[in-house]
Amino acid sequence: MKKLVAYITAGFPNNSFTIDLALALKESGVDSLELGIPFSDPVADGPIIEEANLIALKNGFKIEQLFEISSQIATQIDTLWMGYFNPFYHKGMDLFTDYAKEYGVSGFIIPDLPHEEAKVYTDLMNKKDLSLISFVAPTDSEQRIKQVVENSKKFIYLVAYAGITGSGASEDLSQTITNIRAVTSTPVYVGFGVDEKTAKEKAVGVDGVIVGSAFVKILLDNSLSNNEKIKKISNLAKVIKDTINS
Amino acid sequence: MYIPKASKFDPDSNGHFGKFGGRYVPETLMPVLLELDEYYKTIRFDEDFWSEVDTYLKDYVGRPSALYYAKNISDELGAKIYFKREDLNHTGAHKVNNTIVQGLIAKKMGKKRVIAETGAGQHGVATATIAALLGLECEVFMGEKDVERQELNVFRMKLLGAKVHSVKSGSRTLKDAMNEAIRYWVTNARDTFYIIGTVAGPHPYPMMVRDFQAIIGYEAKAQILAKENRLPDYVIACIGGGSNAIGAFSHFLEDEGVTCIGIEAGGLGVETDKHGASLEKGSPGVLHGQMSYLLQDDDGQILEAHSISAGLDYPGIGPEHAYLKELKEAQYENITDQEALDAFVWLSQTEGLIPAFESAHAVAYLKKIPKEKIKNSLIIVNLSGRGDKDMIQAKDLLSFD
Repeated sequence: MKKLVAYITAGFPNNSFTIDLALALKESGVDSLELGIPFSDPVADGPIIEEANLIALKNGFKIEQLFEISSQIATQIDTLWMGYFNPFYHKGMDLFTDYAKEYGVSGFIIPDLPHEEAKVYTDLMNKKDLSLISFVAPTDSEQRIKQVVENSKKFIYLVAYAGITGSGASEDLSQTITNIRAVTSTPVYVGFGVDEKTAKEKAVGVDGVIVGSAFVKILLDNSLSNNEKIKKISNLAKVIKDTINS
Repeated sequence: MYIPKASKFDPDSNGHFGKFGGRYVPETLMPVLLELDEYYKTIRFDEDFWSEVDTYLKDYVGRPSALYYAKNISDELGAKIYFKREDLNHTGAHKVNNTIVQGLIAKKMGKKRVIAETGAGQHGVATATIAALLGLECEVFMGEKDVERQELNVFRMKLLGAKVHSVKSGSRTLKDAMNEAIRYWVTNARDTFYIIGTVAGPHPYPMMVRDFQAIIGYEAKAQILAKENRLPDYVIACIGGGSNAIGAFSHFLEDEGVTCIGIEAGGLGVETDKHGASLEKGSPGVLHGQMSYLLQDDDGQILEAHSISAGLDYPGIGPEHAYLKELKEAQYENITDQEALDAFVWLSQTEGLIPAFESAHAVAYLKKIPKEKIKNSLIIVNLSGRGDKDMIQAKDLLSFD
């Protein structure tokens, strides 16, 4: 069974909505939740996730909310925190790893922390039994892939194309996947640009997909009520999960 | 001929100046940065490469730039004040020192296209200029707010054949222009060279740009020794990202008795929340590929900066400055919008030199040096750019009978 990881922006529009959505996603077959920490300057993200980030901050999002939400959901659905490095650094990796442990969060996804800069946190993460997800990009050479995935845990986040989240781009990843498989048995999940139309193709040769912008687009749709949003996102998750496993 | 020299403040192999610097970018860009790092190692001290650069700097940019003894201001202050005339460079500021070298590197690495972020538009113009010269495509990212207040530079870039993207997100200034440039770069990583305009961004940019701008201090040191037969007491430069300052400082940092002073944008005052003084009021953090001082809130969200000068309107600072500050190897002060505007008029009417708003911050600091310290001292102020680009904004702020 191929896995489905869902990204949602934490606290958007409020905590109880995020909690309800997370639990609904679990029911729809989502295997892991990427709980996004809104950040003022999300440079790896396209306009959809950027907008959700900026609106959440404008509405007064505080990191404290991430912890509250996680305390309610992380025991029910496998949860990882996704965010840019500065908030982690500013509040302290010690604090984040302590809370992650306390609430049962399983790992962190930090797109602007390449493995050279992540190394200093390896011991801390291991001590708390947390995974810091390794990224592989289609621009990576065979040799770099070897270095990057050496200590990979839980899954490898394979970036589907050179670019930002939610664009329509695609690239042939077969050589990259072969290079990863040659050096590690850690499962490979592909993310960036995965929606109900692209999921089938993107899932070829990998163990799972990561979907973000396709869900967040519904979060941003003001014509829908909160209940309708949850329903629509859950249905989409179901469709994608079925598609990748059909 | 100018060739960069190794410095005791060089970063380590991963680009760390102490805890600052580094490479905090999406994985897609890492191979690009590693390739650039390797390439730069092969040319950093290469005579052939620098001899090619030298020809452009002499005949195209107009270097060496003059070191001008400002008699009227010197008499007024009771000190000897020299201005390093980067304002005389082609395109009107120090920015071209950097773009010409990065442009040559882009070309030699086989890239077809260059991109740049710009605040005041000086770096955008300097990039568009060398793109035209070297036959490269050029796209420039500029915050919408800066597009409005620097419309002359926007036109210049277009005239030079560049495409200008007006960035509408966030504070619509330099920070957001850089976000958008990085997004474009990630998307076009394979064939696009990002010409970063200051000593910031991921390694090797802070070190490269410092090497390229250090020609300012290299020349100034020889010039002041020829004219005064001694080293200056102070070297003063304004700081946004910090490239003209690091360029002016670097050949003096290891000299006893020379105090290097960087001037940040004080905006409406550093006691308010409207300024660009990241070293004075910020704390260490990660933005735009590097660790340095940042203006940020208690959650690590980046705050908007403010300055009268678009070139200083940035919530971060180059990592080497953060390092020099912690080591106490350089001194950092700030100047408000009003003080800078007063200095803009003062220098225009005393010496007939119209400085850029950015450079006016450095000029303004001359009046803040305590009397007992400035008396009989020898000072170099880096006049990083000329004020032509600021005329439209100045016209709204000033009136003369």
